[in-house]
Amino acid sequence: MQLQSFDESYVERLQAGDFRTQEHFVAYFSELIQLKLRSRLHSPQAIEDVRQETFTRVFAALRGGKIRQPERLGAFVNSMCNNVLLEHYRASSRDSSLDDEEQQDFPATNVDVLGAVAAKQMGEKIREILEEMPERDRRLLREIFLEERDKDEVCKDFGVDREYLRVLLYRAKQSFKSLYLKNVAARPPGAVAVEKR
Amino acid sequence: MDHDEAVRQNATERYLLDELDPELRDQFEEHLFDCQDCALDLRAGAMFVEQTKVILAEPPAVSESRVPVTEAAKPGWFAWLRPAFAVPVLALLLAVIGYQSFVTYPSLVATANQPQVGSWASVNVSTRGTTAISMKVRKGEGFGVLVNLPPEDGFASYTADLYNPAGKKEWSRQIATASHEETRQIYIQGHNLESGTYALVVNGITPGGESKELSRHPIDVQIQN
Repeated sequence: MQLQSFDESYVERLQAGDFRTQEHFVAYFSELIQLKLRSRLHSPQAIEDVRQETFTRVFAALRGGKIRQPERLGAFVNSMCNNVLLEHYRASSRDSSLDDEEQQDFPATNVDVLGAVAAKQMGEKIREILEEMPERDRRLLREIFLEERDKDEVCKDFGVDREYLRVLLYRAKQSFKSLYLKNVAARPPGAVAVEKR
Repeated sequence: MDHDEAVRQNATERYLLDELDPELRDQFEEHLFDCQDCALDLRAGAMFVEQTKVILAEPPAVSESRVPVTEAAKPGWFAWLRPAFAVPVLALLLAVIGYQSFVTYPSLVATANQPQVGSWASVNVSTRGTTAISMKVRKGEGFGVLVNLPPEDGFASYTADLYNPAGKKEWSRQIATASHEETRQIYIQGHNLESGTYALVVNGITPGGESKELSRHPIDVQIQN
């Protein structure tokens, strides 16, 4: 999705119900919300519930004119997500949700905003980056991310420190990032591609 | 947490590695939701990690080849001794192969399998480099410098100049800019490095071609034996 400024004009379009703006808004923040929640909630259903409830409340706040700082829209979404998450932890969020209002369904979380072709291209790029790495770095990433071993133990086994791991990830990400940005920028605003999973 | 802090702390990588304590994690997330640069950075990193898991989970490709087996012709009793010089040449070859197999190659493998952790430093143009960076390298070994450029400051491009301890400019390199990429990598070759304080100067080049010094970063290089 193309970068858009979260400013007064953007908020006005959201409030007015502009479809493209709403689609962009949901797609953009859905991904961030998922990244935020996956380390805190293990159930995909719980993640989806919190995501939906977050957007329900944010849109209610938009309709009520409660967004006073448009440039801080992102922080507002994050804050709302934190509140919903707390309530989820206390297992009382469903009672305090806006049951009286019409529930709006937001696009499913497993919609890939990048498209099948772009995803394939990026997958190939990542494969290339991994193949160019020394074998031990590949094994290091495998043990950290795939086998999910304790990071300190893995670093000790490989004779590296945590800084090495960060730099390894940083360099790999940077190698991939320019292609990723190119594909993200190439998507029309709010465009949602075919389902990936 | 502001953007500079997030970059300085490698917050994206630490977030992906789940290394941030709860307070820092919350601060980073609050910044992330408002900062499109950091959000894109994290999304790229997250996609890299997810795809890496998929790719590394694949079984290694096994290539099968069918080598036709042909029946070797039966040589005569003394065929292997002809011509006469074949035996000493073969003996010499065996000696060379033996030496390489038992001495040279294991040594090379041991060296190649040593952890290869390159030295690197990070400089932030915005902070102007008041504190000297200490860099300990072996003779002939170079090091990397990650240069964090200020976002959207109107310069068409940047150059990085390296001055040796005597104050003489060793080289000047152009740093190309691309939108959304604020960190560039510069590798400083090790073959001419000596102990002493070098200076890495980052200059901004205006669209009109004018050069303006943005920051000067002292690098205290110590060559270790």
